[in-house]
Amino acid sequence: MSMASSQDTPVGEGELRRQVERLAVEVLTGSPAAGELRDAFDQIRSLAQRAGFAQTAAQALALIENLAAAHSPEAVSAGLARLQQVLDSELKPAKASAPVALAQDPELLADFVTEAREHLATIERQMLILEQNPAQVEAVHAVFRGFHTIKGLAGFLDLHTIRDVAHEVETVLDLVRNGQFAVTPALVDVVLAAADYLGQSVRSVEANLAGQPAPAVPGPETLLARVHGLKTTTTAPVEESVSVAAKSSSESEQAVSVRVDTSKLDHLMDMVGEMVIAQSLLVHDPTLTSLNNPRLQRNLSHLTRITGELQRTTMAVRMVPIGQLFQRNARVIRDMSRKAGKPVELEVSGQDTELDRNIVQSLGDPLLHMVRNSMDHGIESPAERARTGKPATGRIRLRASHQSGSILLEIGDDGRGLDREKILRKAVERGLVDSGRNLSDSEVFQLIFEPGFSTAEKVTDVSGRGVGMDVVRRQVQKMRGRIEINSTLGRGTTFLIKLPLTLAIVDGLVIGVGQHRYIMPLFAVREVLKPTPGSVHTLPNGAEMALVRQNLLPLRRLHRRFGVQPRSSDVYQSLLLVLEGQGKCFCLVVDDLIGKQEVVIKSLGEAFKTASGLAGGAILGDGRVGLILDVEGVFGTGSES
Amino acid sequence: MAAALVAEESTKTKPDERSGKYLAFHLGAEEFAIRVLTVREIMGLQEITVVPQTPEYLKGVINLRGRVIPVVDLRLRFGMAQVEYTQRTCIIVAQVQGESDKIPMGIVVDGVSEVLNLASADIEDTPDFGVSLPTPFILGMAKIKGKVNILLDIDRVLTGQELRSVAAAIPGAV
Repeated sequence: MSMASSQDTPVGEGELRRQVERLAVEVLTGSPAAGELRDAFDQIRSLAQRAGFAQTAAQALALIENLAAAHSPEAVSAGLARLQQVLDSELKPAKASAPVALAQDPELLADFVTEAREHLATIERQMLILEQNPAQVEAVHAVFRGFHTIKGLAGFLDLHTIRDVAHEVETVLDLVRNGQFAVTPALVDVVLAAADYLGQSVRSVEANLAGQPAPAVPGPETLLARVHGLKTTTTAPVEESVSVAAKSSSESEQAVSVRVDTSKLDHLMDMVGEMVIAQSLLVHDPTLTSLNNPRLQRNLSHLTRITGELQRTTMAVRMVPIGQLFQRNARVIRDMSRKAGKPVELEVSGQDTELDRNIVQSLGDPLLHMVRNSMDHGIESPAERARTGKPATGRIRLRASHQSGSILLEIGDDGRGLDREKILRKAVERGLVDSGRNLSDSEVFQLIFEPGFSTAEKVTDVSGRGVGMDVVRRQVQKMRGRIEINSTLGRGTTFLIKLPLTLAIVDGLVIGVGQHRYIMPLFAVREVLKPTPGSVHTLPNGAEMALVRQNLLPLRRLHRRFGVQPRSSDVYQSLLLVLEGQGKCFCLVVDDLIGKQEVVIKSLGEAFKTASGLAGGAILGDGRVGLILDVEGVFGTGSES
Repeated sequence: MAAALVAEESTKTKPDERSGKYLAFHLGAEEFAIRVLTVREIMGLQEITVVPQTPEYLKGVINLRGRVIPVVDLRLRFGMAQVEYTQRTCIIVAQVQGESDKIPMGIVVDGVSEVLNLASADIEDTPDFGVSLPTPFILGMAKIKGKVNILLDIDRVLTGQELRSVAAAIPGAV
């Protein structure tokens, strides 16, 4: 039973507070008899003890003892004030760990989640800057502001734990701001830990909002202790490394932006797409063109220009800089570097390169994975680096740049590099390649993306890389990208990822089969050709294959795959598309090649989620819907009837 | 008789939640109606892109102002005979409950008739056919202006797991 009493602190807590307050009022208004006071103090003591507030209980006991010694109203009221203080300080953590009050406006909370995330990201970025260059006063200000805003918002929403943690860190940062406190690695650690803790709490708030089970967030006590520890250990003021310079120029970096629901953006995109179609119908309208009116022509071409510009602008709205993604990795590198005792310098460029936010999102995990691999297996220990004559500090590069309508991402390190022979040996062992084959370096390196290559932990130790690299490649391919490896043994490895600017648009070949038109994404098409007579062969089981440039490739007829009527069932009257997917090549038989078109990809929705071989739909130039083919799906499980 | 009177009495005191405005349309000889609130728009027939390897009643997809939406042929959904599309054939775009959200879906019907304003008194339950015909997608029957309209719960019609043939449930509907 006594165990339970410590559980229901809220009850005891309220009662305790009322008692203390009542006493305080009594002492102030009249002078109660010593006996009454004694009883009241004793009551507080027992309540406090039951509620688990040891210090309050002790303080109450001290008061009783003082009463016995000498009873003066001043001493009593002073003692009472102290008691209230002690009680408050003990109440605070208890209250903070109470469940976050979510009986609030969900919209406000959602806004808080988004905003807090942004601030936490800024905090992290600025702390890393600060770690490199402790004299960056601006960074201190920025971090301070971040915590301050979070504190304010959290307080407003009754998120006490978040508020309290932010408040404590803010206090320390204030000391740093005032030059009373130096930026030490310990400080950076604690502040980052606090940011992580807040991130966790924010996630829990978000989960609560979404009605999902919230991840357990440990109490803030340990963290708060660390923050307090900072204050007590290094009290020596800094000489001048962080000079005060309380310039409030900081406001200038506040970006002028609005937050917009992505569904609204999607809708905007849809409407703009429709407008482009309407414009195209109008411009090519035979009646209008036959008029041959110069003014009309001028106006129409003006309309074309405007719609084009509008479409580009709308696309640009969805773009976000890749910098935030790099920053996440900067943090991982920093943490791993400290943990593994490998000093590493991160070199980042092209943070402002913009790409579709969907891509940035799905790029997060693969990038993290590769960076981890670089840290883990690529970069050697300082001792090993010294032996090979390399500088003790390793380098990891993250670069982004535009290249002819795509994004080029580079993840490089100056570590061990890939060992061609070891990879090859392992691949032969695992039966991934024949021992006799003569493979180029890049072909050998591609082997680390094979699923079989990464399953065994042993392999990663030997080859240096490979943990889930197949997942990385799959993810990149899902985004219609390519990944390549450059590596020199002993000098380092660079991964090159080429991605489209956006997932929303795909360049496609419009192909015809009978009455139907389909869109084949261009990135999957290697070539289109007319089969030479005699080049298509049929196995006894009905499977077909084609000899293309001395390679035998499996062949599939799209009309059979989809069960539609073709223009001609003679393969030599048709066209062959040589397609590539998941590192393999196939042939697809279609009737016609109608043209090449850039299309906006739209989901077919849940009604068609079982339809295989389709990647989505697209509105064609005439306003009709065309189906976008999914290369793997077309050759995958579907039955050929 | 007495039971019917009682039932009528109770509907008077507590308004039937099925009452309200309905859009009436027909399939063959039979008149159906769905709640006007679920209807987004009515459009003429347009070219439907066939999606391969889907049930026959899923006619395909159309472009609804930049959105790709599925189209269901209600005749085929109900197991009724397929007919040539005519001038009067049209697509009702309705908001249907999807897995998580309401999604727009096109419904091909033989023709749209009118908007009915149904009072509680106009609506009665489906007559008892005996044991074998559960028709959860039918809200009830409306008797108005000497005609009978079958009131459909469009969410259940289009997303219901297994659908019994309406043709069988309503003799003469084919």
